[in-house]
Amino acid sequence: MIHPLQAVVANSDGSIVFCVIKNMIQVFRWEQTKGEFVAAGRWIDEEDNTSAIKTKVTEEQHRQRAENDAKRRKIEEDTSINKSEDNAQTKKAKDAKVPVPGAGAPPVYNYVRNVSLSRDEKLLFACTDSDKALVVFALDFSDPSKNCLTVQKRQPLPKRPNALTTTTDGQKVLVADKFGDVYSVNARDQKVIGTTENGLEPILGHVSLLTDIALTTDSNGKQLLFTADRDEHIRITHFPQTYIIDKWLFGSKQFVSTLCLPQWGSNLLFSAGGDNFVSSWNWESGHLLDSLDISELIEPFLGDAQLAPERFQNETNTLVEYAVTEIVTLSNLPYIAFCVEQTKALFICKIDPTLGTITLAQTIELPCNIVSLTSASASNTFVAALDNRESGTFNFAIFISWDEVQFTIDGEKNICFDRCITEELGGNSIANFEGQVIYPLYHIGSLRKRGELYA
Amino acid sequence: RAHSNPFSDHQLEYPVNPDEMDWQKLYPHFFDEATNRMTKQVTIADIGCGFGGLLIDLSPEFPENLILGMEIRVQVTNYVEDRIIALRTNHADNNSFQNINVLRGNAMKFLPNFFHKSQLEKMFFCFPDPHFKQRKHKARIITNTLLSEYAYALKEGGIIYTITDVLDLHQWMAKHLEEHPLFERLSSDWEDQDKCVQIMRNATEEGKKVERKKGDKYVACFVRIPNPEIV
Repeated sequence: MIHPLQAVVANSDGSIVFCVIKNMIQVFRWEQTKGEFVAAGRWIDEEDNTSAIKTKVTEEQHRQRAENDAKRRKIEEDTSINKSEDNAQTKKAKDAKVPVPGAGAPPVYNYVRNVSLSRDEKLLFACTDSDKALVVFALDFSDPSKNCLTVQKRQPLPKRPNALTTTTDGQKVLVADKFGDVYSVNARDQKVIGTTENGLEPILGHVSLLTDIALTTDSNGKQLLFTADRDEHIRITHFPQTYIIDKWLFGSKQFVSTLCLPQWGSNLLFSAGGDNFVSSWNWESGHLLDSLDISELIEPFLGDAQLAPERFQNETNTLVEYAVTEIVTLSNLPYIAFCVEQTKALFICKIDPTLGTITLAQTIELPCNIVSLTSASASNTFVAALDNRESGTFNFAIFISWDEVQFTIDGEKNICFDRCITEELGGNSIANFEGQVIYPLYHIGSLRKRGELYA
Repeated sequence: RAHSNPFSDHQLEYPVNPDEMDWQKLYPHFFDEATNRMTKQVTIADIGCGFGGLLIDLSPEFPENLILGMEIRVQVTNYVEDRIIALRTNHADNNSFQNINVLRGNAMKFLPNFFHKSQLEKMFFCFPDPHFKQRKHKARIITNTLLSEYAYALKEGGIIYTITDVLDLHQWMAKHLEEHPLFERLSSDWEDQDKCVQIMRNATEEGKKVERKKGDKYVACFVRIPNPEIV
């Protein structure tokens, strides 16, 4: 059985769809004339993470050894005892041991965490779990028989990357990690920088897990960087002068999981996460313009998956927890779409571009839970990847398009997409899974803070 | 316990934003019932105030400033609270020590929840946890990335005071502050003339401990310089 898509990204006109399954990126192209999807490229992350761990362990061992030597030398100098030097040197350096997880340790997944296109759509960026790297691909669709993906650079990062964005000129990729730091990586060259001392230095940092990052320009054309974290913070920082913080947007009560900067509303930002509301901000003034309470909207779609874990549950077993996974928008229509983790509902809201007010326009129930949400922004289409384990060869992704009156599911396109995936990946050993071996599709809810009592 | 992990999710109380902070309960003497507002705001912060020695000595020197100690360890915070209550009670006749208080918090995470942009005039970092291990360096209270947050909270001309008995940490703090574009080191002449430096050297419990052991104390002070033109 083919594994559900973990992430999906479309280019702005909707002609290319990038899909992630486990440690594989699969690209499909929409052939308008034939009315079908065709495979356009594939990349498999074959990096063995034991080698990455081994490198880390070796480095750490070297460092510790150097530190111990330095200490020993210092002590010797301090006490001015001229010990024979053989003592230190006869100690043979042992080879680094790669730690093996013990019984009961959580499984290690090696997957592509996220994918994103450059602003000019000539590059694709992906973050890998195996060696915590940013991979930059050059895209070339000129020859349909050729794989459209060529790896240009693989930049390992010190900590697990979680979200990324690019500068307006497309020269730099800004990667936010789970340790709270943001690194700037040159997107256009092939030079890889070491992750240890004197290598990559963070351009900004939170003391919290970073969940999303976005960049836009102000009315003077100056770039501003938006970072969201698990401690309810949305921070706005100047770029490239990232040491100058402009402001924080305060009002979130739970972790923030997603940021959305529309092109059509000046100074507007949408955010959501573990709260039961979606916020609309004027980031220039720092004011909250509107917030849409979603508790009633989501009510009919909640199930056992939203019951709080047993340890945190109340006596009547009615404590419900949910989180917005993603907010996406379109280039030219003042609408946003968002979904709640482990539910089937896609909410589409109309936005007043001047006032920033959010009004629910449509609730579309999809056949299965939404795993990933994206948009083909210039073609007025939302694309949702689904957890289609129940439906087998159907419902890998759903295309929802604007028909000049409302958003409707493009049934034909969905069928074409499912058919193409089944044909392309039916016999692929990576794409298929058996039994319960499924990669984690839902990881936003686990960002909820429990306090030290439960730590 | 002597240490507290600044990265973990402590059960902390903090306001959603600085306007939501109830300062009245910390500084009731500076609350104006008629306008329902505080007459002063906090301008001096002692980050990791420990047992509160610095707060107590700063109090009479800056009677017109509100001084806040932030401490992450619960028991230590409770101790300082009790100490300030006792001082206030003993000096009820002249209302001294009304301008200092302490709260339990994680300044590395939630400083912007308490202070507006450019609100602070002075920030003290006295004998911070050295976090000797290199892997733990991000847990240090002075890092490149955190300095940007301190620069946000400090007004132009505001001052960061650091003191430690660990030479390695002193060099680390001075290096990071020197490298940060929004801070400039103050001279040793300046340090010699500044009353806060004198208090910092002698007032804190850690400072006294180092004194007893005849250890060294390393001081470095930096001024918050104006933001350069945005590019």
